[in-house]
Order: sequence, then C-alpha cells, then structure tokens
Amino acid sequence: MREPTFLILTALAAGPQHGYGIMTDVAQISEGRVRLRPGTLYAALNRLVVEDLVEADREEVVDARLRRYYRLTRHGTGRLAAEVERMRRHTAVAARRLELLGGTA
Amino acid sequence: MDDRLRLSDADRDHAAALLRDHFAAGRLAAGELDERLAAILDSRTLGDLRRVLDDLPGAAAASTRPSSAPPRHGQLARGYRRLLACYPAWYRRAHEEEILAVLMTGAPPGKRRPGIAEAADLLWGALRIRCQPARADGGEPAWRDALAVLTVIVPLIVVARPVLNETQFVLLQHPPGLLAGFPQWVLNALAAPLALAALVPLGLRMRRLAALAGAGLLVWLLFGLPGQAFGIAIGDAPAILATALVTAALAASPGPRRGLQIVTWKHAVIVVIATTLVCTSVIPMDRATRLVTRLIVIAVIAAGMALASSLGRWLVLLLAIAAYPLLLFFGLSLFPPGFRASLAPAPLIAAYYLPSLALVILAVVAARRASSRSAKHAA
Repeated sequence: MREPTFLILTALAAGPQHGYGIMTDVAQISEGRVRLRPGTLYAALNRLVVEDLVEADREEVVDARLRRYYRLTRHGTGRLAAEVERMRRHTAVAARRLELLGGTA
Repeated sequence: MDDRLRLSDADRDHAAALLRDHFAAGRLAAGELDERLAAILDSRTLGDLRRVLDDLPGAAAASTRPSSAPPRHGQLARGYRRLLACYPAWYRRAHEEEILAVLMTGAPPGKRRPGIAEAADLLWGALRIRCQPARADGGEPAWRDALAVLTVIVPLIVVARPVLNETQFVLLQHPPGLLAGFPQWVLNALAAPLALAALVPLGLRMRRLAALAGAGLLVWLLFGLPGQAFGIAIGDAPAILATALVTAALAASPGPRRGLQIVTWKHAVIVVIATTLVCTSVIPMDRATRLVTRLIVIAVIAAGMALASSLGRWLVLLLAIAAYPLLLFFGLSLFPPGFRASLAPAPLIAAYYLPSLALVILAVVAARRASSRSAKHAA
C-alpha cells in the first residue's frame, strides 16, 4: 500500500472528513512531510471508492461551497488494520536487529 | 479593510468561534465571554467586530477575513474550472463543485490564477482518473458493454467499407455508360456484408438465433461457395474475423439492444468517417504514403478511444482482433500485385490469424480477471 493511500485511510479512521480536512490531517499526521494536493487526493479517493475501501458519507453546504464527507467502509477498516499489523511486524523485526547491531558495536 | 463593511452571519459565527477559543485558552472570564458574544450578535459592521476583539491576539487576522467566500465564479474559480474541464464528464458531474470548493478554500486571499504546480497536479489527477477502471459494481462489466457495442458497430463498418469503396470506384473511375452493370457487382460485393448487417435487427429480437445465424454465416464464408460468388475470397481474414467477432458478441453480451443504448448517431457518423479515412483510397497517393496515413489515423483513433473510458479501451482491444489482418492486408498491398498470390498459403494464414488469436486469448483472460475482480468487490 502506498504511503499517501495509507495516510488517507489513517485520516479517515478518525471519522468522516471532507477533502480539505483530509489534506490538513494528512499533513499533520506526516508532520508536514507529505502534502497532498487536490488532484492527487481526489484521484486516490476515486481509486479507493472503486476498491470499496472508502465511501461518501454526507454532503453539506458551508459558506456557499459544497463539502462532501468521506468515511471508511468496513472493508477499508479491515485493510487498514491489516496494513498496520504488517508494518508493525516488519518494524519489530527491524528494531530487534538494530538492537543486536547496536549491542555488538 | 473598510470598517464600514457589513458583516454576514458567517463572519459573526467565525468571530464567536474565535471568542470561545480565547475563553478556552483562559484569556476571557465567563462573564466577559457572554458579554462579548452578545456584542458580536449586535455587530453590524467590520468596525464593530474589530472593537469587540481589539485586545485579543489574532484579532487583526479575524477582522480582515474576507466577508464572504471568494465568489465561485470569480477569476480564480474560472481558472480552476478550465483545468477541471480535463476530467471525464461523468466525474465532473459528481465532483467538480466539491473539488473547486477544496481548491478555493486552500487559496490565499489575493490569488488570481492557478499556479503551475496546481495545474500540473490537476492534470495529472485527470489522467489518473481516466485510466482507473470504472466503479466495480456499476452495472454491466465494461467488456460486456464493449461486446454489445461491437454487435452494432462492426456490421456498420463491414457494410460501409464496400459501399464507400464501390461508390468512389464508380464515381471516380468508371464512365457513366457502365452504370448499367452497376447493381450486379455491387450486390456481389455487398451480399455477405448485408447478411452480417441483417444480424443486427435479428439480434434485437432473438439474440441467440442471431448468434446461430452468425455462426452459419461464418461457416459459409470459410467452407462454402467459391468466394467470388459472394464477392469475398475465402482467405479474406478481416471479413471472417469480423463475422466471428459479431457472432461471439451476440452470444456473450446483451446484444444490439444494449449496443444501441450506448451508441448514438454521432458515434455512427464518426465510425463512418473513420472507415472512410482508413479503408478507402479516395485521395490519390502512392501506396507507402497511404499505408502510413492509415496507420496514423488508426493510431490516433485508438489512442482517443483508449483515453476516453474503460469501454473505449475494451473496444480498441476487441476491434484490433479484426483490424490487425486488415493492416497486414494493407501492408502486403505495398508489394507488387502478384506477391500475395505467390506466398505459400500456410504461412499466410498463420500471419493473418495467429496474432488475432493471441488477441482473443488476451481479451478472454482480461475479461475473466475483470469479472472476478468485480465479483470479489460485490461480495
């Protein structure tokens, strides 16, 4: 799973958000390292909707502008959890080996 | 900013939210919060608001917030909409306003034109969305729709090609006196194509019967009368593959009824024009130039269809099955006339049919993968 996809799913794991909210949330989660632009964000969201990981939640009109909120589907939550588990296992192995490496240095 | 400017409800809400933040931060006592909230409700102009928030940090930024969202139809919005026009129409219908809202929210107040990086990002997004498969659960899988379209378009091409050829042949090369013999050999050239075209109205009513009739026509083309009586030589691979394609499409898809839902008369006109450009020899030019022109036209059309939608991509793949032998035929015409006749039949048949067979296998594999993917997501 690519990093922007992972970050978008993580942002939505906090609850339904609209496009701009996802962008600011992703910037915050990645500590400013990943800045999503609208074109990239919506292309990713389209793919996630097609793959049934994300769906539209509701629409609101704020300040005469349309806002559409997105949320994780059940399938999406499962995928995110599986990805987190996978990364956790990998980082655990890496951390153990680095410890050993540090020990013999 | 002018202190006499009137406030909107949104401006007052925004100021009230700021007041609550300041209260939460401990800058205001509870009594002061209520007092100032009341003052905000009574504020009419920007100046009133400024006086309420005067001694609080960030007050300058709060009171200089533009009094309403930048207009959706302003210059910047027009610039963004021009960029968004590159997105597919179905996507724009669903998402244009939403994406525009995000773009305008993120734009600093004085911005007049989309930046270069923003433009590149939006165009890249448009390209990626065009290349993404359509919704997995949205009605028929694209390949079945593509087959349905084929049942309508292939007969059109198969009829248009000899009609256009014979018409321009008669008009450009035969003196009027020979028009007396006109109906006979036109009928010869058109018999098999018209038989194929007859499958379309039949397929509207009785699809399976039409598929059976198509199979019969195919057998006749391959093993029947010596080709000349029907104007088609037995080795005419494009015609044979076209018939096979239509037969398979009638069997495996919803058929002409669905095809006519998707294909409009505009598409039909484009198909006829494309057939004219590719298959006829109206404009005099030497054979090599003609072949190159045809290749370029085919490449441009194929690229346009592939980028338009996933249905377009399936059509390119399926039409290539019948189009490839046609290209080989055009290529062989570059050589002196006796060359094709002098080639041994077996390698010629292999050269005509094997690549198309490979394309058929590719199409079947892709269709099964597409079906299983959409079945998995529907589960």
